[in-house]
Amino acid sequence: MTSIGTGYDLSNSVFSPDGRNFQVEYAVKAVENGGTAIGIRCKDGVVLAVEKIITSKLLKPGSNKRIATVDRHVGIVSAGLVPDGRHFVSRARDEASSWRGVYKGPIPISALSNRLGSYVQAYTLYSSVRPFGVTAIVGGWDSEAELAVDGQVGSGPKSGSGGKVEGAKTGGPGLYMIEPSGLYWGYYGAATGKGRQAAKAELEKLDLSSGTLSLVDGVKEAARIIYVAHEDSKDKEFELEMTWISSLDGPTKGRHEEVPKDLLEEAERAAKRALEGEDEEEDATKGNSNETERMEE
Amino acid sequence: MVGHGMTGMLGEDGIHVDMNHLKKGEVNLGTSIMAINFNGGVILGADSRTTTGAYIANRVTDKLTQVHDTIWCCRSGSAADTQAVADIVSYHLNMYSIVNNEAPSTQVAAALFQELCYENKDMLSAGIIIAGYDPKHGGQVYSIPLGGSLHKQPYSIGGSGSTYIYGYCDKHWKEDMTEQEGIDFVRGALQEAIKWDGSSGGVIRLVVLTSQGAQRHLYLPDNGYTGPGVTN
Amino acid sequence: MTGFDFSNYNRNAALHAKGVPLPKATSTGTTIVGCIYDNGVVIAADTRATSGPIVADKNCEKLHYIAPKIWCAGAGTAADTEFTTALISSNIELHALSTGRPPRVITCMTMLKQHLFRYQGHIGAYLVVAGVDPTGIGLFTVHAHGSTDKLPYVTMGSGSLAAMSVFESMWKPNLDRDGAVALCAEAIKAGIFNDLGSGSNVDVCVIEKDKPTQLLRNYIKPNERGEKERNYRFPKGTTAYLNQKIISKEDMRKYVSVEEASGDPNLMEVDI
Repeated sequence: MTSIGTGYDLSNSVFSPDGRNFQVEYAVKAVENGGTAIGIRCKDGVVLAVEKIITSKLLKPGSNKRIATVDRHVGIVSAGLVPDGRHFVSRARDEASSWRGVYKGPIPISALSNRLGSYVQAYTLYSSVRPFGVTAIVGGWDSEAELAVDGQVGSGPKSGSGGKVEGAKTGGPGLYMIEPSGLYWGYYGAATGKGRQAAKAELEKLDLSSGTLSLVDGVKEAARIIYVAHEDSKDKEFELEMTWISSLDGPTKGRHEEVPKDLLEEAERAAKRALEGEDEEEDATKGNSNETERMEE
Repeated sequence: MVGHGMTGMLGEDGIHVDMNHLKKGEVNLGTSIMAINFNGGVILGADSRTTTGAYIANRVTDKLTQVHDTIWCCRSGSAADTQAVADIVSYHLNMYSIVNNEAPSTQVAAALFQELCYENKDMLSAGIIIAGYDPKHGGQVYSIPLGGSLHKQPYSIGGSGSTYIYGYCDKHWKEDMTEQEGIDFVRGALQEAIKWDGSSGGVIRLVVLTSQGAQRHLYLPDNGYTGPGVTN
Repeated sequence: MTGFDFSNYNRNAALHAKGVPLPKATSTGTTIVGCIYDNGVVIAADTRATSGPIVADKNCEKLHYIAPKIWCAGAGTAADTEFTTALISSNIELHALSTGRPPRVITCMTMLKQHLFRYQGHIGAYLVVAGVDPTGIGLFTVHAHGSTDKLPYVTMGSGSLAAMSVFESMWKPNLDRDGAVALCAEAIKAGIFNDLGSGSNVDVCVIEKDKPTQLLRNYIKPNERGEKERNYRFPKGTTAYLNQKIISKEDMRKYVSVEEASGDPNLMEVDI
């Protein structure tokens, strides 16, 4: 942080001579201190998960939700300043609602992410505001069914519409991550917050781009990854919050919902088992290190 | 309201609303229009007569208006109103395809048309049929009558000439027609509408929307509406 | 307050509701036409302006400049055609300046229709828009309510029926310049002779690709007022007299003082 004291870090809308906006970089610092949040894009749905560090024993477990529903088919989880995240979600809900007002249907995840990206970016331009202290993960499901226009009467021919092309693009999972700069990308697996490095390493092992991971397996992986990411701050207690969105014929019928309690607990048990097993494996490999080296030759 | 544009005023019985009152000297599309689903997409059809009172202001009008690549509409009512509405929707669909990097669905077009027609119902006399094709949904037909409601239909007929062909259409309509059957159905129905409705006439124009894109047809009265057929 | 004042309209509507007949609206008669040909477009108009039953101007101009290669023929309320075309002409010039391109006919037509639609027919401008631009030849009609049509030959105004009858019987595809000018002039003459609201002369405007626009003012004057064969002046001595008495200037001095006029030739001469 050699820039401190130069004055270029004091305001938005002022570039440093080497072309950086320090206010945005400081916002990223706020994000890097937040609890780990991840999203996984599975073949038949999306999982969102967040590690909530318990700051007080007086907080009631299960309340204080950190993953918000934006529209029936979209959820957002964020890492960083929690109130900033709430404002961000509020804006996302306005955008989703405004889309419905104009187009009489659900907003596509890509369009919502685009609008939110533009919104966040605007907070890097003016000296009167500070950037968002959050990185948000937007997950959702674009309906694969033919959607009716809200308020329409009738449903067309009984035989269905003619001329449909087999295998034409018909909705699917959507996962995007929006950073304090307004930058956003689409992801197979997204991670942000304190444990993002460990989480990303785990996500990369899942071969998500092949589109084979099922949603239920995704839930278990998400729980495990949050537990893995928590390893570096073991001293603190945490609570796992998870939501999911499935395809229309899946468990949530295209809606963004909390992962049911029994499945969540099962996933947490599996996650803890995997962590313990990992430790044992590590011990085992250490014991036979010479042997493995020899075998590689 | 005592003022310009006496549209939407209550009639003498205080119940029936005269929504279709045209302003004095306004150009009217006394019209026969229709759109149908068939097994490969949709077909739109219209006559070509535009009137101002008793005078035919245009005998070769094109009432089939493109608002996106494979989303078109049939216009009936006031020429000025329907052109203005179609122009606005056309602009929004163009913007939609740029911003969202994909072509709008027919639903999006229908939603935009409905919003304009419903929110401005007091100022508009517009009866619009929207028909579009996209690979995901196939062909779809929506109708927006005077009040601004939205109806998804297997086929839709509209305009002053449509009153004469309800029987014809009901008798001859069947689902899942082939393209040629669909063309013959629309042409046959419009021929009847033109025959019986004084405010409809001229040529018959068709647009066929399929996965292959948009194709225009033209049928002239000179030969009993048998040709020339495809014009592009 | 800016914009239109509808209070008179509301008053009339209220009176009408009580049974008073609405004031008789006077339609301003006109014949205007347009016709495309192989290499350009011709528009033409009559030159009569009326106010009620009175011919207000026997040789007015109904062909309005929009841009060097876009012209407009106007029917309806004279003030509205004049000011609407002037406004759009101004905006078209600014548009051409900002784009650095020659303006297009369809741009002009769109600006006109959106302007007129906004005023819901209260601006009584009925226009024929014609021109040549980089995309080709354009010919449109624009009605006061904002609807437009695109046709190979068009007529508007009270004489439009007479003019259209000429087009419908004599128009043929692939006209050349002279054919199109002659046909348009013939259509306007049909309006001049058969429509009460139209009269006097034929104005023609020819807009052709790669050529300067020609405004043929008074291209035909079918209503030239002929030289009067007789007048009301009578030769000296027409009136007989019984006697004669001449009073000279000198005699006048006895009764009044007479000033000699200076030799300035610019001073009015006074006959005595």
